[in-house]
Amino acid sequence: MANLRLLVNRRKAIRNIRKITRTMELIATARFKKAMDRATEAAAYTRKIGELAADLSASAGEVSHPLLEKRSEIKNHLLLVICANRGLCGGYNGSIIRIAQNRMKDIKTTGAKNPIELSGKRAIAFFKFQGIVSQATYTQFEDKPTFEQVDELAEKYLQLYIQGEVDRIDVAFMKFINPARQTPVVETLLPLEADAARGTTGGPKVEYEYLPNAADIQTELLPAAFKAKLFKCFLDAAVSEQIARRVAMKAATENAGDMIRDLSLEYNRARQAQITKEIAELIGGSEALK
Amino acid sequence: MVATAKKIAGKVVQVIGSTFDVEFGEGHLPEIYNAVNVKIDTKAIQFNLVGEVQQHLGGNRVRCVALGTTDGLVRGTDAVDTGSPLIVPVGKETLGRVFNLLGHPIDGRGPIQAKESRPIHQKPPKLSDLSAKTEIFETGIKVIDMLTPLVRGGKAGLFGGAGLGKTVILQELIARVASQHGGYSVFAGVGERTREGNDLWLEMQETKIGKTDRQVLSQTAMVFGQMNEPPGARLRVALTALTMCEWFRDVTGADTLLFVDNVFRFSQAGSEVSALLGRMPSAVGYQPTLATEMGELQERITSTSKGAITSVQAVYVPADDPTDPAPANTFAHLDAFIYLERKISEKGIYPAIDPLASNSRILDPQVVGEEHYRVARMVQGYLQRYRELQDIIAILGVDELSEEDKKVVARARRIERFLSQPFIVAEAFTNRPGKITSLAETIRSFREICEGFHDNLPESAFMYVGGIDEAVEQAKKLAAS
Repeated sequence: MANLRLLVNRRKAIRNIRKITRTMELIATARFKKAMDRATEAAAYTRKIGELAADLSASAGEVSHPLLEKRSEIKNHLLLVICANRGLCGGYNGSIIRIAQNRMKDIKTTGAKNPIELSGKRAIAFFKFQGIVSQATYTQFEDKPTFEQVDELAEKYLQLYIQGEVDRIDVAFMKFINPARQTPVVETLLPLEADAARGTTGGPKVEYEYLPNAADIQTELLPAAFKAKLFKCFLDAAVSEQIARRVAMKAATENAGDMIRDLSLEYNRARQAQITKEIAELIGGSEALK
Repeated sequence: MVATAKKIAGKVVQVIGSTFDVEFGEGHLPEIYNAVNVKIDTKAIQFNLVGEVQQHLGGNRVRCVALGTTDGLVRGTDAVDTGSPLIVPVGKETLGRVFNLLGHPIDGRGPIQAKESRPIHQKPPKLSDLSAKTEIFETGIKVIDMLTPLVRGGKAGLFGGAGLGKTVILQELIARVASQHGGYSVFAGVGERTREGNDLWLEMQETKIGKTDRQVLSQTAMVFGQMNEPPGARLRVALTALTMCEWFRDVTGADTLLFVDNVFRFSQAGSEVSALLGRMPSAVGYQPTLATEMGELQERITSTSKGAITSVQAVYVPADDPTDPAPANTFAHLDAFIYLERKISEKGIYPAIDPLASNSRILDPQVVGEEHYRVARMVQGYLQRYRELQDIIAILGVDELSEEDKKVVARARRIERFLSQPFIVAEAFTNRPGKITSLAETIRSFREICEGFHDNLPESAFMYVGGIDEAVEQAKKLAAS
């Protein structure tokens, strides 16, 4: 007969796990709402500034800007991977790492150097395990990344890019589409894709009048657009993480519940069997003594 | 003096189920374990029964266990003491034949002309006569050779609940070992299906030994007391087979194989007659003499300085509970312990041997060698860790594991599948030819999996293959289709 004490202990352990996962689910739900508000607010701004930058580059005509220019030869291809600091969020980290690794494989075939930068302890731990050295690691981005934090990072990237130390910057993160759908993507941050930005917005082209001139505005606007875009990546990542955690913890709580039910059933059956067995033995013994 | 004059007649005075009491004259009581013949031979009724004396009751009465059916037995029938325990024919004449527990052939090939016969009750070999050789007995089954190597001249038990494939593994071992084996084999069918006995008998006629033209059956003696027989028969049939086996060991000195299917039925038969003999039931309703009975049987199955008996025994585990007294008692007598697990058979992995619960006395670097031992422990380490992680995976999913643990899980799952193997006797069901994997190949294969050479192959490539090269082959085929 299955060991009763063993069953009781296992059931107790799983109850404790369920308590934790249920709490985490509730916390994730609360945080998700805040994170989503921030992300949707930022989305409008990012979209508008992207449109603006695209319109501007289109109407500026010949005026080119280093942030828009596609470099013919890519020697250094930087990849930023945005993961979570914590686990217990299902396939969130795993799927980002997988897509990042695919991109790294592609870059390897082009022969370019591929320094990587990692955000989130999970990504850091994974690449350390794989023996891949990263150029920089960040753990300060939690569920509420601030613009100041991102600004610092963005300034650094602008510097690197303009000085020609990197020729292209990609970012791998979980894109938040709507509360039911998030997909891991790799997007190109730099050079800014002016045409692509305009293509997506579509709609009638608005004619602006630029003062003092388009080029000056461009030098102000383009870095701002880049920063907004990077900030959006972090916001998306934060909200996606909370959603992934909520979903994963909900499933875990349910799984634990199922397991507790199965174990209870097994325990009760074992207990009844043991009692029956003991009674049968007692009766058998007393009968034999008659 | 004429032999029959010695035989003392008594009268049957009581019949209870498969036991009966006989009253003899003063001073003529038969000894314990003596066989008693009860015979009615008239025109109307033909009745022949052998009983074995179990108890002296007082009042000149003895209580006997019937070794056949007591249907038709009436009080007052004459019962003759034969003066010795049941005697069965032994010797080379028994080869190729099928017997019941009384030593009568039941294969319809006429009476047996044995020169020698022996009583079924014998003393176990003396301590000083036991052999101390320890050597691995290769079977070509990966999981057995790797994790629970059988001992040449030792005893192995196949434990498992209902329908997990004990009999299949046992028959597979017969097909693999007996067909390669030069010596003699004895098969004891104890309380299992009669059909299985018949299948085995037919198969042994078809299978040839090695490359010679001789049937496996010609080197085998078979003794059956199947589930249709009364408990007394099932209680003693193993002894009949063992007595024949002992003759081969003692007289020819050859390596002899003894297969028993199923030792649990022996205990079960003992428990069926125990209450009728007036013993008080013990734990779980078993006879209080459970350990003694098992010890008397098992202690005789040993290798001596004269010759070796290698025995493989199937042991039924009631309700999948290995702590049940009957299997728990058998366990202590064995060198290799192979435990079949329902969870593994539910995954469709056959043989459903539990790699962690099973073990062997000789899985020791001194016997199997440093390399084998190291690889076996590594395999167990992976599987152990996987089992520990199973609850976490069930609740949180595989994504929550650390990278190290993910790797362990991936390899453990491959190892788990690689422990399956197509069987020769199951070819008709699985449509795959049986695979014999040499020990060296087995060790190499498992080492390569553990060291991560095959992490890239899909899990299904490891199902039902022989060596690791076949897994690589299968992966290619899977990729192509």
